[in-house]
Amino acid sequence: MTAADNNASRPRGRVVTFERALLVFAVALLLVLPAFTSDFFVSFVLTQGLLLGIAAASLIFLAAYGGMVSLAQTLLFGVSGFVIGNAVTTGGSKGLNLGLDPWLGVALGVGITTVLAFFLGAVASRSTGLYFLMITLTFGVIGFYFFGQVTTFSGFGGINQVRAPDFVGTPGQFPERLYFLALAVSVIVYVVLRYIARTPFGLSLQGIRDDHVRMSSMGYNVWVHRTLAFTLAGFVASLAGVLFIWWNRQIDPASIGMGEILALLIIAVIGGINRLEGAWVGAIVFVMVNNYVRDVPGLNQIGLTEARFNTIIGLIFLIIVLLSPDGFIGIGQRVVRLLTPRAWHTSQAPGSDSGSGPSVTAGSRSDSGSGSAETTGNK
Amino acid sequence: MQWIALVAGWSVAAIFAAWVLVFANGTPAEPLVSQPGDFVKVLLNALTIAGLYFIVASGFTLIFGLMRVVNLAHGSFFLLGGYIALEFQKLMVGKSRNILGDDVGVFDWVIPLLLAAMIAGILGLIMQQVFLRWFQGQDMRETMITIAISVILADMMVSWFGGIGVDIQWPGLIDRAITVSGVRYSVSRLFMLGVAIVVGVALWAWLQKTRTGMVIRAGVDDTSMVQALGINVQLVFALAFFVGSALAGMGGVMGGSFAGLAAGVDGQWLLNSIIVVIVGGLGSLKGALAGSLLLGVVTAFAPSYLPAGFTNYSIIFTFVLLGAVLAWRPYGLFGTPE
Amino acid sequence: MRFTISRAKAARLMAVFAVVALVAASCSSDDGGDTATTGGDAATTTAAAGGDAATTTAAAGGGTEVIKLAVLSECSGAFGAFHQQDMAGVGAAMAEYAGATITDPNDATAGWTGASVNGVPIELVGIGCGDDTADTAIEETRRLMEQLGADIMIGPLSGDESIAVANYAKDHPTQTFINGSAGAMDTTLEVQAPNFFRYNSDGAQWNAGTGDVAFNDLGWKTAAVIMDDYSFAWTSGAGFIAEFCAAGGEVTSRVFPPLNTTDYSSFVSQLPGPDEVDGYFWVVGGSGTLPALKAFEDAVGPVTPDQHMGNLFWEFAAGSMDPSMEGAYIGGFGTAGDLKLDSVAAHTAIIASHYDNLEPFGDAAAQANSGFLVNYFAASQALIEGLEKVGADISDGQVALQGALGGLQLAGPYGTTTLDGNRQAVQDQYVRQFVLLDDGTLGLSTVAVIPAVDQTFGGTFEQGNMPSRDVPGCEPSDLSWLGNATPVVDGVPQG
Repeated sequence: MTAADNNASRPRGRVVTFERALLVFAVALLLVLPAFTSDFFVSFVLTQGLLLGIAAASLIFLAAYGGMVSLAQTLLFGVSGFVIGNAVTTGGSKGLNLGLDPWLGVALGVGITTVLAFFLGAVASRSTGLYFLMITLTFGVIGFYFFGQVTTFSGFGGINQVRAPDFVGTPGQFPERLYFLALAVSVIVYVVLRYIARTPFGLSLQGIRDDHVRMSSMGYNVWVHRTLAFTLAGFVASLAGVLFIWWNRQIDPASIGMGEILALLIIAVIGGINRLEGAWVGAIVFVMVNNYVRDVPGLNQIGLTEARFNTIIGLIFLIIVLLSPDGFIGIGQRVVRLLTPRAWHTSQAPGSDSGSGPSVTAGSRSDSGSGSAETTGNK
Repeated sequence: MQWIALVAGWSVAAIFAAWVLVFANGTPAEPLVSQPGDFVKVLLNALTIAGLYFIVASGFTLIFGLMRVVNLAHGSFFLLGGYIALEFQKLMVGKSRNILGDDVGVFDWVIPLLLAAMIAGILGLIMQQVFLRWFQGQDMRETMITIAISVILADMMVSWFGGIGVDIQWPGLIDRAITVSGVRYSVSRLFMLGVAIVVGVALWAWLQKTRTGMVIRAGVDDTSMVQALGINVQLVFALAFFVGSALAGMGGVMGGSFAGLAAGVDGQWLLNSIIVVIVGGLGSLKGALAGSLLLGVVTAFAPSYLPAGFTNYSIIFTFVLLGAVLAWRPYGLFGTPE
Repeated sequence: MRFTISRAKAARLMAVFAVVALVAASCSSDDGGDTATTGGDAATTTAAAGGDAATTTAAAGGGTEVIKLAVLSECSGAFGAFHQQDMAGVGAAMAEYAGATITDPNDATAGWTGASVNGVPIELVGIGCGDDTADTAIEETRRLMEQLGADIMIGPLSGDESIAVANYAKDHPTQTFINGSAGAMDTTLEVQAPNFFRYNSDGAQWNAGTGDVAFNDLGWKTAAVIMDDYSFAWTSGAGFIAEFCAAGGEVTSRVFPPLNTTDYSSFVSQLPGPDEVDGYFWVVGGSGTLPALKAFEDAVGPVTPDQHMGNLFWEFAAGSMDPSMEGAYIGGFGTAGDLKLDSVAAHTAIIASHYDNLEPFGDAAAQANSGFLVNYFAASQALIEGLEKVGADISDGQVALQGALGGLQLAGPYGTTTLDGNRQAVQDQYVRQFVLLDDGTLGLSTVAVIPAVDQTFGGTFEQGNMPSRDVPGCEPSDLSWLGNATPVVDGVPQG
């Protein structure tokens, strides 16, 4: 402990301030970035990254604080988009073509999605772990077939020409507007989710994640907590869906198909499924890999032409899962450990060391750094 | 809560029965009382497709039950098994196009089936030994690894075999229909049900009557205790993974003969397996049986007994099945909480 | 432990750094790779009202320095196997009409060099990889047009993709889109994007002649139609229904199995029996073509050539069908490789002179008349002819080029194609028949040419009245080509 005295003299408050400063710096950087980059980069990489980040954050929120790896987030994201598509379009050949005001569409999209999330959560929340994962995966895939087969709402061709409010415009006209909106929503979602994690609700949710039997015997209603958390995550996913439909102007069942369901999970895992920040890190990395990996020279020589870029994405994902179960955040942690003096390690709380544990688990670490037990996953 | 679900469940079943029996006018099949032949056909459809579901899902549930691995590459092994069998069949028949039922003897189908199952099993074994065994106990991580492998395999299969639909030819012997008292029915579908029964009985006998089976059942209940008794549990795991993947490959050959192979079919059959085990309960053979039957009933009855303009809504009934079972038993009919 | 930056905190910092570093890295590469366009891009588009990320590389004076072309093809999904054919269609046209040199005769995706029109080089900036879903098509289109800065795109291949791309085109009027091989009717008739051109027919047009054959040659008075439940299949089925009913037949039953159905038995059971209806028209594709027929044989009765017809999906499944289907009629795909015409031979020679092998099907010349290759070829040929008409000047939002494209008379291997007011091809169609080849496998032979088939089927289809489950209804009507089919005997049109 004596070796760490230098650090010991540093008050906690200042550390927090420093960390916050960095987060603020990141946001500030994101604020000025559009001035230096192309419209495509703003719209396609940053905006898409942020909105997928919001969707992934809803997944990570459930996984990190509730111990529930939900693969239904893509469905909820899409339901919000489909509802808006049906509500606001006019004269398209598919969907209901209600021609409502775009803002009313948003209210409907978010509202219906949140209610749906409540019911799906109520069914799924009685199970845990891998069972929960598979049930939510099934929800997601059934949702894909639902929108594909029920042509009243979409059909496989999807819904095109979905209008955003004039204030947002199209990404072609005003790429920055949607980008800043996505950034604002991202920041709000991040702050609110972090806040909720510290409320009594959030704390009991984490308690349930760590030991639901004990929490249950202490009088907490496990099912209600999980259902409400799922509903909240559904609400967050629906916001991402709103941004998506404004950004893409088009949605079809493939937007929420098996590939996209797995993509959202891949985003969460490569970012770091245990930490909310991982959502946006993972999303931006994913979007960039998707976009730029085909330009990497030399892949042709080993038989991976651009036609096979799904293989490349699969390989990258495999490598990350094999090497760093905490995704990029885990890699960051290892780098920090290598670079910091040895004495530091001895001063760490055992629970905050995640580099070695079985980390990609349903119930993972507590966010508050309180040194909570890690679940081993195989109970 | 329990009794509400029970009452609700039985009411749904009663309404369903009444609908099929008397009220289903204007549906493609018409009510049982007026068209009993159609009912028999639909019931047979339900049973035979359930057989195929069972073969595929039993491998999935075996692997999960013993090792807590949700093998999301199960569908990939299914599709790969089908493609491999097709290649062998072309080789054996000596034709690459327009293979007829008459060209295909029983062995031109059975030998590709066995080879495909074997190869799928070996690939599954390799996946388990190379990637999964180092992360035993980290179930979520193992699941992620199988996802990554499924993404890679799906893409590679498009490049190896093309994406367009192909199918495996049944042997001529069973590639026909028979008519029994006015009801015309496919022999190959009945054969599929027969194979499923054989597979089911063999698995049951293996798990119940042999020493290996005993170890596996003990492993399902308590892996660490089995290990503590000095049994080489790694060997058992490897065996289970081999058998589970081989069943996927075998299912792929049957599914490829029955419903064709194409890009994306892997995801469909993975979904089928998952629904079966969620409904039936993970890790139990009984559960796989019950789940297959229920899913078979839904897939066969929904399009036949919905009003004619609404048959495309039948997917909703898969969801209803899932919701109803889970509301009643969150871990499936024969499942136990983890 | 209140005194250290915990690992968790450190990780958070690292995460932020990671984002910053990645963003910075990609920005620099983005700018570096594309200096000419991206720099001006950000500046101009924010200013231009209604402008998109248009990267027209026109100099201020009006002359064009380079034309950036992108191709949207398929790498995965059901049509992933035709990637090489698509690219070969584009490459061969560039080599033949724009002086390009093919980079690799055994790999069409390697592209070409040296294409130019009127001294202006045509540069292939990117190949998009679709998977027959609208979602991916839009993602790839945006990558090609907005990131790689293409001026013109050729593609996509399949129906739902093309509807999405046509809608995208509508939002980006200063870029030009030429359909690859997609055949959904909505793409042109419903969306009507002024800058989306299609030189191939839609699914309904391709089936022109089938209704006539069914009613007049096979003598069907009633028919049942079984079609996949999505837009291309509705379009395709609509072609048969409209013509069969126009000729006086009656469609008594329509059945719609959902896409990706595993067990077709419940759906074929909905069809009337062989004694209740004269014939069946099949529009079931994907992995379902053969299982659906098999289910029919098991549950209803034998599938015979005189009582069953299929659309182009049967062409894809020909290799797995029972040779006893010899003689069955199938709908067209805009091509007729067996016609003994000089133009067909010339086309085959063009492909053979530029490509040797197109995987996974092998010999390039044998694939010269594949519908995918032909359609991508026609799109590229049209583009080159259009550019020639305007002196390769694509300045001023490509207005001149778009005008020229609309008025082309495109001479292809199977006759001349013109565009209607919705920029949709009007061209001849071909009814085909299965024939037994010498090696015992099924091949295709053209039996009739249907002259100048238009998209609306004499007004049966119009904007707001697209093919769907109940459109078209079944009304007798007057189709200009009814009774005007030219029979083809041994590859020679009679007349």
